[in-house]
Amino acid sequence: MSIRAFLYSLPLIISMAIFILLWRGLNLHPNEIASPLINQPAPFFQLPDLYRRKEIVNNRNLLGHVSLLNVWSTACSACMEEHDFLLMLSKQQSIVFIGLDYKDDTHAAKLFLKEHGNPYQNIAVDESGQTAINWGVYGTPETFIVDKRGFIRYKQIGAITPEIWEKTLKPIVQVLADEKI
Amino acid sequence: MTPDIGLFSLLLAFFFALIQGVAPSLSPRAVVGQFFCLSLSMFCLIICFLTNDVTVVYVQEHSHALLPFIYRIGAAWGGHEGSLLLWCLILSGWTLLFRMVGKRHLTDSFFTKVLMILGWISAGFILFLLATSNPFARFFPTELITGDDLTPLLQDPGLLFHPPMLYFGYVGFAVGFSFAIAALLEKKCDATWIHAIKPWIILPWALLGCGIVIGSWWAYRELGWGGWWAWDPVENASLLPWLTATALIHCLILAEKRDAFKGWILFLPILTFTLSLLGTFLVRSGVLVSVHTFANDPKRGIYLLIYLSVIISGAFTLYAARIKYFYQAPFFQFMSRETSLLLNSIILLTAVATILIGTLYPILLDALHLGNISVGEPYFNLVFIPIMLPWLFLMGLAPYLHWKKTTTSYLFKKMVSPIFLSLTLAWIIPTLSGCHFHPLAYTGIALSFWVIIATLRYAKKITLTLPRYSMIIAHIGIAIMVLGITITKSYSEEKQVRIILHDTVDLAGYQFTLNQLQNVAGDNYHSIEATFLIREPNQTVFVLSAEQRVFVSHEQTMSKPGVAYNVWRDLYVALGAPLSDNAWSVRLYYKPAVRWIWFGGGLALIGGLLSLLSFSRKRSGA
Repeated sequence: MSIRAFLYSLPLIISMAIFILLWRGLNLHPNEIASPLINQPAPFFQLPDLYRRKEIVNNRNLLGHVSLLNVWSTACSACMEEHDFLLMLSKQQSIVFIGLDYKDDTHAAKLFLKEHGNPYQNIAVDESGQTAINWGVYGTPETFIVDKRGFIRYKQIGAITPEIWEKTLKPIVQVLADEKI
Repeated sequence: MTPDIGLFSLLLAFFFALIQGVAPSLSPRAVVGQFFCLSLSMFCLIICFLTNDVTVVYVQEHSHALLPFIYRIGAAWGGHEGSLLLWCLILSGWTLLFRMVGKRHLTDSFFTKVLMILGWISAGFILFLLATSNPFARFFPTELITGDDLTPLLQDPGLLFHPPMLYFGYVGFAVGFSFAIAALLEKKCDATWIHAIKPWIILPWALLGCGIVIGSWWAYRELGWGGWWAWDPVENASLLPWLTATALIHCLILAEKRDAFKGWILFLPILTFTLSLLGTFLVRSGVLVSVHTFANDPKRGIYLLIYLSVIISGAFTLYAARIKYFYQAPFFQFMSRETSLLLNSIILLTAVATILIGTLYPILLDALHLGNISVGEPYFNLVFIPIMLPWLFLMGLAPYLHWKKTTTSYLFKKMVSPIFLSLTLAWIIPTLSGCHFHPLAYTGIALSFWVIIATLRYAKKITLTLPRYSMIIAHIGIAIMVLGITITKSYSEEKQVRIILHDTVDLAGYQFTLNQLQNVAGDNYHSIEATFLIREPNQTVFVLSAEQRVFVSHEQTMSKPGVAYNVWRDLYVALGAPLSDNAWSVRLYYKPAVRWIWFGGGLALIGGLLSLLSFSRKRSGA
């Protein structure tokens, strides 16, 4: 086969390769964007607390209990929508919510929580957004389920609705709660 | 009754498409029949929407009793089924147009072959519609239902123009594709062919470009994030065929003048239509995550993929087998216009390849179980900008190159002063207007000035004919667009703040005061409107309002940004979340020259259309 003939069949070869790829792609589920961090220790972070600026929130706050790290901001309307449900959950269940206030106006954040209630045990303030990058956050809201040893076990992209909670998140949390450290 | 007529005429259209594909003698008449049936079908669907016939599943899912009249028409193509019907209708419209005005100097056998190929493409899509996505599927509810309503984001005049415009472009490339296949089948591609295919590339190219520009403007004024291009997979999918068509238009000029490069001019139409189909697949199969994707169903993806691989692998196999009949050794030296036009194709194809890789990369990693990622703006900016910089340089240079051969000293003499002038102006003008120096901004601005100055100087030297006018306008349009992109990217300012009533915030020398908050009721939503008083640096004051809309049917909120613009800058206000009674989280943007992007884009398209005019004139004279 001459070089010329090879060159002219390149489009065919490349397009076939792309079709095979797309064929595989059809059987995948991009909406369930798993995080490469799943089953990995939570990335290191160390950030000031929203209310007590001199205190820090870090990985230690995630140890010893199942925690839900919720990435939110007052600029995001979906976060506002899930807020009431998170608040209800935090009152009913023995889950620790840690907030990661992402690139937000802290004054606005405090005001919002004062008015609507605060589901979080601690709120880390990520002003630069660097921690969110390390955690592989696509956008707000996102929620990471972190087990007792501080390992990320699940990532929820988008708001938590009662339905998602019952179907997906609650079973995971229950299993993790029964795990021995 | 109406939906049944719609479905029946869709079935009839399928048979007409089959006849068009298999029976050469009946082809031209079947084209008319098919177009009539598809129009009737589309008409029926629109009637179903206007009468809000909720027994039709598609209407029930995309309409609502409160949906305004004008959006009901748009809603007919606001979902997967209806937009695919529009796709088929437009394809048959192009075929009809070709049947009516395309014959001219083409031989009978060639003309019929093109019609038959178009018939097969159309039959496949109508079958897809009937088998997996029937827009007229019925469901008789036992209780009263009102419909799920059209997604609020789509309730905008943009919906009426953006999808049809894009489809006119995408689908129009089918004619060029059929031209290339017919030429490969006949082993003949002469000057008549080159002349005849031109309008069938330029017109869809202009319409697709127009669709992209409208889409970008729509996203800007609707989505509330102040951006106009996000490298979203589906945006990329629309840009790809536009880039290859741009390369093709330039190659056609080359082939027309020099009777060479048949390999390119037969390859690019096939590639362009392939990329259009790929775009259609990406939007409708759900393999990628995007704001544009429709609700998906795996069956659809599989059907479409099989169908696409048949068309495309068939076309490329034919290409590989037949292209040897077209080979001619070109004769030209490196410093020549031929080289520049060829380089243009190579640069554009490199850009296409990098965008394609970035778009498909997430699927590749996922398929190889290497994890899930999304490729975003940083990648595309990093790879796309360096590729486009030499392209811009070439754009200014190319008109000065002669066919076959140009001497270096001649070129040097012509180039020195425009280069010097653009380098100086790019430094002086931003400095005088008080902008800080930024290397990438400087490069972008200098290259835009270079294109504009070099092109205008060229225009002064030559006698202006229509094709030259169109080239000059198109190139200057692109330069203005690049200028707009560069300035917006480099000198925009934004702020996210908490603001209470009568508070004032400064941004880029403008003072924004929240003056008033009031409730407003729309047809199918209620909203809170925030009115800002804006004081310009020169102390003029004007009013700008932004809204936060809550749609009745979805309880979904949507931010409707307020935009104040003039030639030099846009001021953009988007309401975020309410914080307490009168406090709001608000995003403010100052975007200089952002409008130049659309203006330049529009100018480039006008340039393209102008060349079409010259074409039709020449034809009628001949």
